[in-house]
Amino acid sequence: MAVTAVTSGGESTIREQVSPEEWEVRVDLAAFYRVVAMHGWDDLTGTHISAKVPGEPGNFLLNPYGLLFEEITASSLVKVNLDGEVVLEGQGGYPVNAAGFTIHSAVLGAREDVTCAAHTHTVPGMAISAIDEGLLPMHQKAMRFYKRISYHDYEGVATNLDERERLVRDLGGNNAMVLKNHGLLTCGPSVRTAWLLLYNLEKCCKVQLAVEASGGTPIMPSEALAESTYKQYDTMGVSSRIDGWDSLKRMLDKTDPSYKH
Amino acid sequence: MVATAAKPAPSSVRESMSEEEWQTRVDLAALYRVVAKHGMTDLGGTHLSARVPGPEHHFLLNPFGLLFEEVTASNLVKVDMDGNIVGESDYPVNAAGFTIHSAVHMARPEIRCVAHTHTIAGIAVSCLQEGLLPITQHSMRFYKRVAYHDWEGIATNLDERERLVRDLGQHKAMILRNHGLLACGESVAEAWRILYYLEKSCASQLEAMAAAHARGRKLVYPSEEVCEYTASMMEKRSPTEHGTRDWPAQLRLLDKEQPDYKH
Repeated sequence: MAVTAVTSGGESTIREQVSPEEWEVRVDLAAFYRVVAMHGWDDLTGTHISAKVPGEPGNFLLNPYGLLFEEITASSLVKVNLDGEVVLEGQGGYPVNAAGFTIHSAVLGAREDVTCAAHTHTVPGMAISAIDEGLLPMHQKAMRFYKRISYHDYEGVATNLDERERLVRDLGGNNAMVLKNHGLLTCGPSVRTAWLLLYNLEKCCKVQLAVEASGGTPIMPSEALAESTYKQYDTMGVSSRIDGWDSLKRMLDKTDPSYKH
Repeated sequence: MVATAAKPAPSSVRESMSEEEWQTRVDLAALYRVVAKHGMTDLGGTHLSARVPGPEHHFLLNPFGLLFEEVTASNLVKVDMDGNIVGESDYPVNAAGFTIHSAVHMARPEIRCVAHTHTIAGIAVSCLQEGLLPITQHSMRFYKRVAYHDWEGIATNLDERERLVRDLGQHKAMILRNHGLLACGESVAEAWRILYYLEKSCASQLEAMAAAHARGRKLVYPSEEVCEYTASMMEKRSPTEHGTRDWPAQLRLLDKEQPDYKH
């Protein structure tokens, strides 16, 4: 179902072929790839971040498999549907990654409240994913995930579409999941929410590894305090003032605005 | 009164206030940039504050919604001890930030600048029962000179100020358990110096503990006398040093790389 390859003048061609709402999501999603790269959380051409296309149920955007995150642009993103068909090729005509399709179609297909999902293979994320105790609510940041983080056992590279069922079952209603022996996943009702959760989850993994490696004695806040802190986060919601998202985009605009093309 | 325009001309903001306030703003904006350069930021979270000279006890906080890299002398927000914005600002301030900073500014008039961070090393040590250990020259400056404050939830409850102040006592460094670090100074320069050494102490302690733990070795503790001697030497020496070496060096770097902090 692939659309014919984009020819010269691709940038304007893609923009002209999509709704203004889709274009806006494309720019935000491309920024997300750049921001992840800026933080050093990319993995060559591996891992993926996805976003639903507004007004087109079942259609979502994934990275052009073969480009580094630093190279991704609004136009090069690939629009696919939940059946894995390319609805609109991106500039450059790259395919999508099969495992990426499995993971992201599972999350976006099952969760109406989610519009964006992000998956990384960072060193701290992989390390935590390989320890049997999971993420511990030992400090303010980690309490955001207290009893609200899921775990999904490793089944091999996620190219088997059957795995979607189990990914969805394990994620449940949470917005963060540790893919055991593999990496991290966050999702949310907006690009900025998925970003904020990813940033915090990554930092939680680093802190926990440092605490555990030290061999010291962790101070564990009580369950009641962890729960009440989670509720404080939940009540505050995701503030556009705290996620840094607008600022990060302004920084990209200064250093390399090519993501917008 | 601070100008209301989105991007007020630096001169107009500057002319509306005392030279002392402007200088405090420039120094505090510089601290935001320096902390960012050292990778000690946490997106839109955490705060650095400075008290404005004068009897009102007003202090400056970051515009909530900008990253540290975007803070300038003019966009800092002036608040009173009740959290009201003094003058006008395009940005609010963060409630949890206000609680922590106002507690210190209310209780410790000699403190002019307060810095709070959520760094990996700082949070990690804040989670350890052992606390900060006097195992390096850097951390010996905090020997019996670092306070601890237990976690109570996100600091939006103004009641917590009482306990923050009680726990801080007369110290200039505090570990907020299960949360992060706090450094206070009689100047922006001193707060930076304390924050920097506190951060590096935490990071080196974690490395030492991890390596010792992995190999079944023990940490080496200098005697109490040596720790005390070192700490008191640093204490005596520091007030004259803060302003003369480290801080001007940081400002020189900023002036070269990102002089817009002064705007």
